Amino acid sequence: MSFKVLNSAFLTLIQDSGRFSYSHLGVTNSGFMDEYAAFACNKLLDNDIKGNLLEISFPNLHLEATKDTTLAFTGAFCELFINDEQKNTWCSHQVKKGDSIRIGSFKSGQRVYLGVKNGFILKKEFGSFSTTLKEGFGKILEKNSILDFEEFKGTKTKKWHKNYLPQYGNDLTLRVILSYQEDTFSNEAKELFFNNKYKITSDFNRMACKLDGKEIKSNINGVISEAISYGSIQIPNDGKPIILLKEAQTIGGYPKIGSVLSIDCFKLAQMKIGGTVNFKEISINQAQEKLKKFYSTFLS
Amino acid sequence: MKIKIASVDSVIIYFGEFISKDISNKVKSVYSYLKSLENDSFIEIIPSYTSILIKYDILKYDISSITIFLKNELKNIKNEDFSSNKLIVVDTFYSTEVGFDLQRVALNANISIEEVIKIHSSKIYDVFTIGFLPGFAYLASVDDKIITPRLNSPRKKIPKGSVAIADSQTAVYPCDSPGGWNIIGRTTFEFFDKSLENLSPVCINTQIKFNPISKEEYIAQGGKIEF
Repeated sequence: MSFKVLNSAFLTLIQDSGRFSYSHLGVTNSGFMDEYAAFACNKLLDNDIKGNLLEISFPNLHLEATKDTTLAFTGAFCELFINDEQKNTWCSHQVKKGDSIRIGSFKSGQRVYLGVKNGFILKKEFGSFSTTLKEGFGKILEKNSILDFEEFKGTKTKKWHKNYLPQYGNDLTLRVILSYQEDTFSNEAKELFFNNKYKITSDFNRMACKLDGKEIKSNINGVISEAISYGSIQIPNDGKPIILLKEAQTIGGYPKIGSVLSIDCFKLAQMKIGGTVNFKEISINQAQEKLKKFYSTFLS
Repeated sequence: MKIKIASVDSVIIYFGEFISKDISNKVKSVYSYLKSLENDSFIEIIPSYTSILIKYDILKYDISSITIFLKNELKNIKNEDFSSNKLIVVDTFYSTEVGFDLQRVALNANISIEEVIKIHSSKIYDVFTIGFLPGFAYLASVDDKIITPRLNSPRKKIPKGSVAIADSQTAVYPCDSPGGWNIIGRTTFEFFDKSLENLSPVCINTQIKFNPISKEEYIAQGGKIEF
């Protein structure tokens, strides 16, 4: 026994960096929606950055520690109480057997990551701890369930440097690498796409984010079904962009104008329904430099 | 062959612009070759009708090195013949009891239900791609006679194991799912099976044949009629 779940928030999922090498069978990658916050959470615990965490998308999660350990909290800025004492997130905290841990309301951002020193003791399924409900993989946290971990009697806690704390606002610029069927979009269509704001609709989940705004059209109605990458921007027949995220289906037949740089998809994961985004072109070389820097910083 | 950017860390190789067995064989040959390299820096290799997407490790390759690598590697690939590959026989109970659209397919073709069953089960199908759902294999092509358009409005729930036709393609629903294909029968054969080490008995290189079985045989295999 390690964590007892006194109250479970809706859709609290076990995640890690994702399930890979089964996409050719239609199995989605899944994984952390916001890798920046998730990797930071593991960094604060000196865990492997890809290790498992709880991804919490709704308030009022209440846990009881049944062993000593160190915990870390990142992602959405939220109320955090340890034994009813208010604590900060984006840092680690030592907890003792019997301590109560409660996540209250979210102030900004949509997903909180909760990690434990050395990770939760669970069984990997096909190389990953990630939960994909539609495929029946992983674990959803339920009331009165137990989440196991090793006891750890730590002496130090860490805090994420304030210069590197994210700010979760209501407006976000997404950098786009033109790709796939971009040549089937006219210059006028591209101008509309890059010069207008789009609103995040309620069709926003771990699979995709559907936007509302200026309609754009491709010169073709569809493509022969082909594999879709993380961040791809599909333009269905209604002309409203859909950004594909961690649990996207593996193949699809809509024309795609390009792909959002993954780092910006992580930021999108913290946005609210009703928030706005705009698109800005980035060259493949610049985009790759940014992503390389992102991963090397975390791996160092 | 054309290599295009897909995203910051993936490229897509196109082998043609229409669906054909020849182009599909090219895809399969290159896919088999790329898999045989066992390159850990290829995070995903996803084949489809006319293309293969490769997601690569951004710390090992960039767009120019991956393009050069692929161009060099793929220069000398010969088209393999996949018809000698593993053939999987899928026992199928064809009946209006479980095949909600069997009558519709027969009416559309202006032939009897028995003929639909005979035509559908006499061909060996190639897998063109797998996706939409885990283990959902797009098989083609059905005989011209039984080509049937999708339903006007998709069903909210199609039972697992349903054998279906959409246009010239056929498939088996690996789990309960919404869908707009014409359902002609049902099987207990598992297209997505977590007890298997590689999750599915089917891959892009396998071939499928449907074998008509009686209601008794279907029930004996664990098949269910009600839904």
